[in-house]
Amino acid sequence: MIKVLAACGAGVNSSHQIKDAIESEFKNRGYNLHCDAVMIKDVNEEMLSQYDIFAQIAKTDFGFEVKTPIVDAGPILYRMPAMAKPVYDKIEAIIKEKGLN
Amino acid sequence: MDAVIGFANAVFQPLIDLGAAPMMTIVLTVIALLFKVKFTKALEGGLKLGIAITGIGAIINILTTAFSSAMTTFVESTGLQLTVTDVGWAPLATITWGSPYTLYFLMVLVIVNIVMIVLAKTNTIDVDIFDVWHLAFVGLACIYFGANIVVATLLVVFVGVMKIMNSDLMKPTFNDLLGAPEENPMTTTHMNYMMNPLAMLLNKIIDKVLPFLDKYDFDAAKLNNMIGFWGSKFAIGIYLGVFVGLLSHQTPQQICTLAFTAATCLELFSMIGSWFIAAVEPLSQGISDFANNSKWLQGRTLNVGLDWPFIAGRAEIWAAANILAPVMLGEALLLANVPFPFSPTGTWNGLLPLGGIIAMGLTPALLVVTRGRVIRMVVIGAVLLPVFLGAGTLVADFVTFTAKTVGAFPDGVTGLISQTTMEGPVEKFLAFFVGKATTGDVAMIIATVVAIVVYVALFAWYRKQMIARNIEYAKQDKCTLSPLTTGKFTEEDLKAAKEAESAKANA
Repeated sequence: MIKVLAACGAGVNSSHQIKDAIESEFKNRGYNLHCDAVMIKDVNEEMLSQYDIFAQIAKTDFGFEVKTPIVDAGPILYRMPAMAKPVYDKIEAIIKEKGLN
Repeated sequence: MDAVIGFANAVFQPLIDLGAAPMMTIVLTVIALLFKVKFTKALEGGLKLGIAITGIGAIINILTTAFSSAMTTFVESTGLQLTVTDVGWAPLATITWGSPYTLYFLMVLVIVNIVMIVLAKTNTIDVDIFDVWHLAFVGLACIYFGANIVVATLLVVFVGVMKIMNSDLMKPTFNDLLGAPEENPMTTTHMNYMMNPLAMLLNKIIDKVLPFLDKYDFDAAKLNNMIGFWGSKFAIGIYLGVFVGLLSHQTPQQICTLAFTAATCLELFSMIGSWFIAAVEPLSQGISDFANNSKWLQGRTLNVGLDWPFIAGRAEIWAAANILAPVMLGEALLLANVPFPFSPTGTWNGLLPLGGIIAMGLTPALLVVTRGRVIRMVVIGAVLLPVFLGAGTLVADFVTFTAKTVGAFPDGVTGLISQTTMEGPVEKFLAFFVGKATTGDVAMIIATVVAIVVYVALFAWYRKQMIARNIEYAKQDKCTLSPLTTGKFTEEDLKAAKEAESAKANA
């Protein structure tokens, strides 16, 4: 299973929108993908290392080097399918490149 | 008129009598259907809202029941009148969405947004439907304090217009903070940025009086890493449960119960908050589709108004919030016995910080105003937190009343609930003044006029400051000129300014 992490201010709104959108899209694309949504304040190096992809809303400064592949998932929040598609395509490209499926 | 009211009562009273959860299930489903959401999605959202309202009521019950006797002893033993439980944002959001008026205010604000776009008074389309509750809360509070629906609507529109104007003003700063190109469409109409004018005023004072503060700035991300889980919700619940338990002379077993109950409730509030957001999601998408497909908006390149956390990746927000948490606790204790006749406790602050102790309703505004200077954020935040405590206490009666109305407050439990750091504290004071003024109280009418004049004047001054900032961005080619972001500054002005700077550099 592909594990994706989304994070936002309270871990309940924007990150959940991203989680729902990514899970729904990748189910349609035939992937077994799970996305967790958390409060960005609670993300640490150990937590992030357990995920295959970090779907950030915008540039994030954790104070440590992020080794997990990062995708800018902010456009999902615009609620316009055409703007969200490149985000999904980027995730799919990482999945294929890393052989995650 | 009587016939209309009679007809409305005949239609809606049976619905209201069902209780808040089933009523809002039906109302949200119907409204979503009106926006052409598929029936199953609309019903799913409606049911989730009903479940969220029921769930939040259950958690408030657990928290207030566990803490009510300890808080009574706490007040007796410390002499501090902290009788209002700080339940954080999720219960207040759910309670607010439990009122049909919130859907009414949502419709009003969608119309206001579209009209402003059509009239070229904004370039932002707000898709953050969920956070409309902040302004709906102001409208509901205004009605609670005495206003009729027309006056409350006017107040909501008045603040709503400023919020949308602010989203355009802040846009270049967001690009700067995110290191994003100008094509980035992300901005926000979130209520917490309505603290910008006051924060900007204090920032200017620091420029004059304490300019050396910036020398002591530090790496915010490193501080956050050091704090780790000690600043998480459940850890804060444990600390405050132990704090209340010790000061109210509870037994070790009772202290442990308080600590674990508080920690559990803070985690569950967030979890149920996510159900509630999922409930509103089909309606949010329906409204966004409606706006995006609207013929009035075709051909416009618009910015997108999101919830505030697209900026949450900036470590300064959390560093400032972590430092301000104990500061707020200290201020809450200091202000507990300061008299304030208008509040339900008779004091400026009646809240012991718990669910709202991480000041997310404030620190994003501090980031925008100071552009990430942490020490300034902390200093300004410390000065502004009492405004939040005062507003949270002022509306405690209203919050508790509304919670009872939607069945989210346990029977037989005394005391009040509210939130320490809810977005828009100044607007809550406005709601109070406007509501009371509507009842004809002359002193309140005068106070309302003064409050609105000061509010508008401060916003106008803030707008001027932001325009000056945006012109600086334009000189660095980080912002396109527009009346909404750079005011009357023209292309010729920009060219002349660039030439002058170039000449100065060459000299």
